[in-house]
Amino acid sequence: MAGKEKRRNAAALDGDEQRLRRKQEETALLLRRIKGFVRWVVEEVAAGRSPSIVIHRYRNYCSAADSASPSPCSCSYDAPVGTDVLSLLHKDSQTSRLNVLLRVLLVVQQLLQQNKHCSKRDIYYMYPSIFVEVAVVDRAINDICILFKCSRHNLNVVGTTSILLMGWIRFVEGEKNVNCMKNVNAASSIPVSIEAIKDLVSVAHYILVVEKETVFQRLANDKFCERNRCIVITGRGYPDIPTRRFLRYLVEQLHLPVYCLVDSDPYGFDILATYKFGSLQLAYDANLLRVPDVRWLGVFTSDFEDFCLPACCLLPLSAEDRRKAESIIARCYLHKEAPEWRSELEAMLQKGVKFEIEALSARSISFLSDKYIPQKIKQGRHL
Amino acid sequence: MAAASLFGADRRLCSADILAPDEVRARIEVAVLNFLTALTSPTSPAISVLPLISRTSANCSLRSGLLNDVSSVYLSYAFSKRSLMRESNAVAFVRVWKVMEMCYKILGEGKLVNQRELFYKLLSDSRKYFSCQRHVNRAIQDVVSLLRCTRQSLGVMASSRGALIGRLVLHEPDEEQIDCSILGASGHAITGDLKVLRKLNLSSDARYIIVVEKDAIFQRLAEDRLYNQLPCILITAKGYPDIATRFILHRLSQTFPNMLIFTLVDWNPAGLAILCTYKYGSISMGLESYRYACNVKWLGLRGDDLQLIPQNAFQELKPRDLQIAKSLMSSKFLQESHRAELTMMVDTGKRAEIEALYSYGFDFLGKYITRKIVQGDYI
Repeated sequence: MAGKEKRRNAAALDGDEQRLRRKQEETALLLRRIKGFVRWVVEEVAAGRSPSIVIHRYRNYCSAADSASPSPCSCSYDAPVGTDVLSLLHKDSQTSRLNVLLRVLLVVQQLLQQNKHCSKRDIYYMYPSIFVEVAVVDRAINDICILFKCSRHNLNVVGTTSILLMGWIRFVEGEKNVNCMKNVNAASSIPVSIEAIKDLVSVAHYILVVEKETVFQRLANDKFCERNRCIVITGRGYPDIPTRRFLRYLVEQLHLPVYCLVDSDPYGFDILATYKFGSLQLAYDANLLRVPDVRWLGVFTSDFEDFCLPACCLLPLSAEDRRKAESIIARCYLHKEAPEWRSELEAMLQKGVKFEIEALSARSISFLSDKYIPQKIKQGRHL
Repeated sequence: MAAASLFGADRRLCSADILAPDEVRARIEVAVLNFLTALTSPTSPAISVLPLISRTSANCSLRSGLLNDVSSVYLSYAFSKRSLMRESNAVAFVRVWKVMEMCYKILGEGKLVNQRELFYKLLSDSRKYFSCQRHVNRAIQDVVSLLRCTRQSLGVMASSRGALIGRLVLHEPDEEQIDCSILGASGHAITGDLKVLRKLNLSSDARYIIVVEKDAIFQRLAEDRLYNQLPCILITAKGYPDIATRFILHRLSQTFPNMLIFTLVDWNPAGLAILCTYKYGSISMGLESYRYACNVKWLGLRGDDLQLIPQNAFQELKPRDLQIAKSLMSSKFLQESHRAELTMMVDTGKRAEIEALYSYGFDFLGKYITRKIVQGDYI
C-alpha cells in the first residue's frame, strides 16, 4: 500500500479479553435484574395485588398534523414521550402484553444462562398460539429493552443476516477471515455478528450504501472498487437490524463518510430515512442503530438535467406513491433535522415524477460507475 | 402427440445456442444483410417477414429421456411470422429490430445488462415503441427465437432471485470457498450470471435436494438448520423459478446423480405449475429452458396430507387458480399421479398453504419432511 494511504485501524480501545469480560459482567448484571423483577412480580401476586409495570413510550418521529407551522413535538431519541402501564388484572389488551413479556423474559433468561443466541422468529415458534404473530414478540422485546434499559443484543436476541459487501476492507469474524481486499470486485455475502468482529482494517475513503442488489451488481460488474477506494454495502431494500448495526459499527470504528444511493421515489427516500433516523418500530434502539451523518448522494430529479438525461426516463408518480410521499413529508424529524431533504421530497411531489437509478444506463451502461458517482462525490454534490 | 423416440425428438427439437458475443453479432449482421438483400432486390424488392419460432403450446412436445428419468418440453420448427405489413404486428416487428440494435451495441462494449437497464436504454432511444417493461421482455424473447441464441448470449443478464443453503461448498476458480452450511437464514444468493454458475465447482455430501416454493418456508427451514438433521441442500426461487435457479439445480443434479430432488409447494394449481416448470421447462423460454429440466418429485403438500390441515386453514380456489388448473390439465406432459392431484384440487375447490402445518409446533415441518422422505412418500 502506498505510504500516502492511511491505514485506519479499529480503535484499539477494546482488547479481546476486555470485551469478553465486559460482556460477562453485563450478562450477570442483567440476570440479577431479571431475577429481581420476577421476584417482585411474584411478591405482588402473592400479596393479592395486581402488579403494575410502567413502561416508557419512545417515539423518534411523529407526523405533524400541520406541516406549514409544525408545533414543537416531543419526539426525541433519548427521552420518552409518555408511559404505558401494564398490569395483570386489567381486562384490556395490556393484560396479555404482560403475559407475553414474562414468557419472552423466561426465554431470554435461558439464553443468557446458557450463553446461546436466537432470533425473534425462534422465540415466536416456541409458543405460537400465545404469541399469534412475530410482531407481538417484537413488541415484548422492545418492552424488555426499555424496562431494563438495555439493547436487543444484550438479551442475546439477534438475527444473523447475510450482508452483501465489497471493497477495501478486511476483518476477522470469530474463526473466519473476511478479506475483501484480495479481490475488491467480488461481493462477499457474509453472516455478520458484530460481537465477534475484530482486527478491522480498511484503506477506503468512504462508504457507499446502495438500496438495491441490482445496483450493487452493476457496480461489481463495472469493477467500481478497482478505481475507487471505497466500501460498498447493500441492505437489499429496507435494511434489517444487523445491517444497520454493522454500518454504524463501521462508521464508529473507521470514521468514514457514508453516502447513500437510492431511487428518487418515496420508497427510496424511506429507506434513506431508516438509515439516518431509524425506524418507528424500533424507536428505543434508534439511537444505537441510526447513522446520523448519512449523506444523500442521489439520485435527484435535478440530476437528470445536470447529466443531460432524456426526459422520458422520468416516470410518473402513482397515487400510492403520492400518499407515501405525503406521509413521509409530515414526519417531524424532517423539519427539525433535515429541511433540505424535505424540500427535495416536496419538489418530487410537486413535479409528480420519480426516477430510478437504472435510468442512468440510458446515457451509457457504466455511466453510474464511471461518471455519476465519482463526479458527485468529488464535487461534494450531496444533501 | 406422437410418441417421440429419443432420436426422433432431437431431430425436431429447436434449441437456442450458447454463443460468444462475436458470433451473436455475426448472426445479427446476417439478419440485417438478409433484410437489406430482400429490400434491394432488383427484381422483386420486399420487406421480409421475421420468422420466429412459435412459442405456443401447439408447437411444443414432450421428449422423454431413454437412459434417465428426465423429460422436458421442447419447441419445434413451427414459425410465427412478424410482419411490418400487418397492422397488429407492425410495432412488434420494429421492436425486434430495436432490441437487436441495442444488443449489438452492448455486446460490442463487452458488457452485460439486466432487463430493467435495457428498458431505460430503449426508452431513451425509441420512446414510441417501448412504454413498459413487458414490451422489452417480449421483444427479447422474440430476438432469442429469431437468432436462436440464449438470452444471456445477447448480453442480457438474468435476475438473481434464488437462494440456496445447506451441505454444499461452492468454489469459484480463484475465489474463496463458500460453505453454504454456515450462512444466515437468507442463504446464498444465486447470481443471475450463468457464465459464473457454469464455472462453479460444487462439492457436497448431501443425499437430497429440497426445492422450496416460498421464501418464508425456506428461511424457516434454514433457521432450523434442517440440513444438520437431514443431509440436504435447500434451494428456492421465491416463486416461479427463474433460469439461474433452474440452471444451478440442473448442475447439482448432473454433478451428484444420486441425489434425489424433492419439491415442497403449497397445495394449489400454482404450486403444481411451479413443480412442472422445474420438471419439464417452460414454453415461453422453450428454446433454452429444456436444457435445465430435472427429475423432481412432489413431496408435499399433497392430497393425503390434507387430513393434517385444520379445517379453517383451507381457502377457496380463486379464478386465477382455476385458469392455471385448466391450462395444466390440457397440457401434454402432466403425469398421471399429478393429474389425479390436480383433479382433487379442482373438485374440492380448495387450496392450502404449507404454513398451515405450523399449528403443530415450530419443528413439525422438519419432522414432516424427514418422515416423508424416509417413508418414500413422494410422487
